[in-house]
Amino acid sequence: MPDGVATVATAPIVLDAIGKRFDTSSGPVQAVDSVSLTVRREEFVSLLGPSGCGKSTVLGMIGGLVTPDSGRVLLDGARCAGPSPDKVALVFQDGGLFPWRTALDNVAFGLELRGVPAAKRREIARGLLEPMGLAGFERKYPRELSGGMRQRVAIARALALDTSILLMDEPFGALDEQTRLLMGEWLVGIRRRTRKTVVFVTHSLQEAIALSDRIVVMTARPGRVKDVLDVTLPFPRDLNAPEVTELRAKLWEQVREESLKAMGSRP
Amino acid sequence: MKVLAGRIAIAVAVLALWEAVAAPLNPLFYIRPSVLPGALVAMWRVPELPPLAEHVWLTVKEIAAAYAIAVAAGLWLGFLLGLRTTVGRVYEPLLAALYAVPSVIWYPSLMLFFGLGPASKIAFGVLLGFFPVVLSVLAGVRQVPPTLVTVARSMGARPFTVFRKVMLPAMASTMVGGLRAALALAVVGVLVGEILGARAGVGYVISYAYGLMMTREYAVLAVLVGAGVLALDTAGALVEARVKRWAG
Repeated sequence: MPDGVATVATAPIVLDAIGKRFDTSSGPVQAVDSVSLTVRREEFVSLLGPSGCGKSTVLGMIGGLVTPDSGRVLLDGARCAGPSPDKVALVFQDGGLFPWRTALDNVAFGLELRGVPAAKRREIARGLLEPMGLAGFERKYPRELSGGMRQRVAIARALALDTSILLMDEPFGALDEQTRLLMGEWLVGIRRRTRKTVVFVTHSLQEAIALSDRIVVMTARPGRVKDVLDVTLPFPRDLNAPEVTELRAKLWEQVREESLKAMGSRP
Repeated sequence: MKVLAGRIAIAVAVLALWEAVAAPLNPLFYIRPSVLPGALVAMWRVPELPPLAEHVWLTVKEIAAAYAIAVAAGLWLGFLLGLRTTVGRVYEPLLAALYAVPSVIWYPSLMLFFGLGPASKIAFGVLLGFFPVVLSVLAGVRQVPPTLVTVARSMGARPFTVFRKVMLPAMASTMVGGLRAALALAVVGVLVGEILGARAGVGYVISYAYGLMMTREYAVLAVLVGAGVLALDTAGALVEARVKRWAG
């Protein structure tokens, strides 16, 4: 679908030529350069690219945590200036759970900020943890949970905000391969149930193919959109299907090129 | 249980060794532990010594005041330097340099400023207790994981909420160590101040007994102070352990 005027007005996320430059000790670095993208309602879009290509920066700009130097971010047609916790929830790579809070109180954190009374927010949090297979772990602290469980708590915490948009920054990046695949399957279920619009940052081809409606391949720094691929295969996806193999080969070609550039440009 | 038994055994062994070594020596200079309980009882009615209770109470008040001021000032400056990065980078080396100077050299000037009374003792306690608080706050601010701050910001937390709900708990275990060290140093500051020059307080009584060569009373006082400080620090350690367990 072309990024026409009609879709821009109604699309949950519109990135209009956004760019971001960071000042580092070795001079300014253009992290993201003129990225344009329109995400449709209830769409699952993956940002795929080599490490350091600005994927997380793009996500930060959508989440209102990073201010773009150029271009603009529109959420439901309104210009985004700062975090909008009523529309957007984020999940971070290492989970970012508060170690001094139990699983339940971690999930309830966003509701606490909104001023939801303690009994009510605990009830909501309990209701989110249970279908995630975390019933009985409500009172555990993050250090007492496995990596996969911690990540599920982090996702529950984001879901507790009940936003229409979910941004995920390599949420399964720190997990082992098996857990990662299982978490992916589980996320497909969550997504079907909650009907959210998701932007998912990853550097795993497999993960992008298993989860996405569209895959945005980004270039090495400065991060630009290299290519956008539609994935039309039905869920749940058989990762051994010939179409998947073909798609993976195509993606790998592109990502490989950018990864080589990224490695070459490393100081 | 085994550890506790071991500790008691060591304490008993040390006392026995002390007794054995001191027994044949001059009783004026080498106090045997076995005479201490008797000396403690006797000390309450030694006419040459000032009555003890008032002095203990004064010293406790001085320590409390010194600790309160050191903590308040230390937290204030620590957060100021920790949260305003530029200011922090300007002043931190200065602070570290000041900390490296043996604080006792400032004591004469404190006496000049604050006189012989409690104020100069409190000031010295503050001076000693202040640095560990500031430095632990600075270290604590720096070890707050940036992701946790980002998480809270992404959920719409305002700066003060981020401070209260993320930064304070994240730095609690580092800060509580500094606060405990500050308490020990505030005690040292006040006692050293009293010993170096005062008209009242436990340190003054110690110095008085020492001046009259009442070595037995002096030893009792030293043991009493030691026991008091030990009790205080044990309480501090319990609090620290609790906070650390909570803050993970």
